[in-house]
Amino acid sequence: MNAAGNTTLPTKPPRNWWLWAIVLGFLTAMTVWSGYGIGFSANELVCNIAGGSRLLEESWPPDFSFLPRLIDPFMETVYIAIVGTVVGGILSIPVAVLAARNLSPDKVTWFLDRNFMNILRTLPDLFWAMLFATAVGFGPVAGALALSVFTVAVISKLWSESLESIDMGLPEAVRSAGGSWLQMIQFSAIPQAMQHYVSYALYAFELNIRASLVLGLVGAGGIGMILETQRANFEYERVTLIILAVLVAVLIIEQISETIRRRLT
Amino acid sequence: MSDDSQQNATPASGQGGAIRFEKANIVYPNGVVGMKDLDLEIKPGEFVVIVGSSGAGKSTLLRAVNGLNQLTSGTISIDGREVPKSGKGLRELRKRVAMIFQDFRLVKRLSVMTNVLVGRLGHVSGLRSMLNWWPQSEKAIAIDALERVGIVEKAWVRASDLSGGQQQRVGIARALAQQPAIILADEPVASLDPVTTHQIMDDLVRINRDLGITTIVNLHFLDLAREYGQRIIGLRFGELVYDGDAKTVTDEDFRNIYGREVTEDDVLDDEVVAEG
Ligand SMILES: Nc1ncnc2c1ncn2[C@@H]1O[C@H](COP(=O)(O)OP(=O)(O)OP(=O)(O)O)[C@@H](O)[C@H]1O
Ligand SMILES: [Mg+2]
Repeated sequence: MNAAGNTTLPTKPPRNWWLWAIVLGFLTAMTVWSGYGIGFSANELVCNIAGGSRLLEESWPPDFSFLPRLIDPFMETVYIAIVGTVVGGILSIPVAVLAARNLSPDKVTWFLDRNFMNILRTLPDLFWAMLFATAVGFGPVAGALALSVFTVAVISKLWSESLESIDMGLPEAVRSAGGSWLQMIQFSAIPQAMQHYVSYALYAFELNIRASLVLGLVGAGGIGMILETQRANFEYERVTLIILAVLVAVLIIEQISETIRRRLT
Repeated sequence: MSDDSQQNATPASGQGGAIRFEKANIVYPNGVVGMKDLDLEIKPGEFVVIVGSSGAGKSTLLRAVNGLNQLTSGTISIDGREVPKSGKGLRELRKRVAMIFQDFRLVKRLSVMTNVLVGRLGHVSGLRSMLNWWPQSEKAIAIDALERVGIVEKAWVRASDLSGGQQQRVGIARALAQQPAIILADEPVASLDPVTTHQIMDDLVRINRDLGITTIVNLHFLDLAREYGQRIIGLRFGELVYDGDAKTVTDEDFRNIYGREVTEDDVLDDEVVAEG
């Protein structure tokens, strides 16, 4: 080391402009190509805006008399999200622990669990909803089960990374006091990453509220289902009300959840 | 399952706590020699201080005793039984060998009481510890351990709300709660101020004297080693280069252990020593 303190900053390497140009050109080409691929045309867009404005007129003003009939379905949406978050939140604990490289008892367990976790993540919540619907029929139960899986996917991935960054001195202390693997997890790993867990669980709940709405559209019950039936009956003023109500409710829930999360960190 | 009904932390030891290294070697995977041909015998109830410059192998030696480091050749045995490499045998051994760390290693967000009960984990069923449902007898042991280090009134405080010295006392209480035959302390005072350092060292000496627990302490301040050690062991490049009585160790011996002149960086604080 240089005790005299006469360190000189090494000269900054020159920026590689060519690379930037190639990347930029590539991205532009990809976008144009993809646009053609989905039949995007500016002309059509303008025409549709005209049609859309007619629809907007029919949708205004919102039909507030419909509001009381939204409460029960909305609560159902929330219940589905809560059950999904709680069940998935509990199941995600072992999945995350076994997927953390520093905590997993052996390489095989780690590898299997890690891949299991990745498969869960790869498949979208709608897929799980369809799968459970064939098992228990369309409805709130299938929705809650689908969200449970979705929750495991969300929390376990994020939280296993938190667990991987804990200070390993404490687990070592618990082991050296004669603690078992499970006790080591409970008394040293989980307490260190507890704040992250709660934060991710709340985040999963926010996602689940939204996912629960979407699942409602395909028959899982709740407010999404009401929205779909009203739309199918061309009751656009009610549709507007539902959208507004959902917007407000979701914003409120997210605000609360976010406030708690911020307090935690 | 807990089958003991003792109501205090007085160890089931006083019996046991003998440590024996025979031709022990540790070579780390990267080729560094952490321990070289170590032959060493420590008797039950001894208070041994290990000194040596940074990287001399002090931590390596301590961590070999409770199996955190594995020998690459030779043997180490406690009370005549070789230290197992893994499994149930190792866990059983660790219940009798407690460790105290420089950085305390407490669960910061949990209570002092829970931290001390970590020392009892080896003695309760998995289900009980899972539910945090501790038998009265276990809690009594934890409270007794806290009394021995004089912080029983902090039992329900969060560990993070304690001062460094208090946190190290919790670390000692956790070790005591194990009712160990051996206590290993790896630079237990290196993150503490001089006054607290003396208090913690006094605690360790008192516990060793009252309970007869074999105690090995790594220290890097020579005056502390002289003041508190009964026996001093000097390491250099993983080799034992000094083994003698703390009362008779000379500056020449320290020069030899360190391989250089002893400077004022190697002593804690002359004034505080004089006062204490
Ligand atoms: N896990 C490890 N892998 C590789 N080398 C290690 C490992 N742990 C320690 N060493 C090396 O072994 C030697 C002895 O280390 P050790 O930690 O026992 O020294 P120490 O006397 O405790 O030093 P300090 O006073 O700095 O704590 C050092 O050279 C160190 O770099
Ligand atoms: Mg060390």
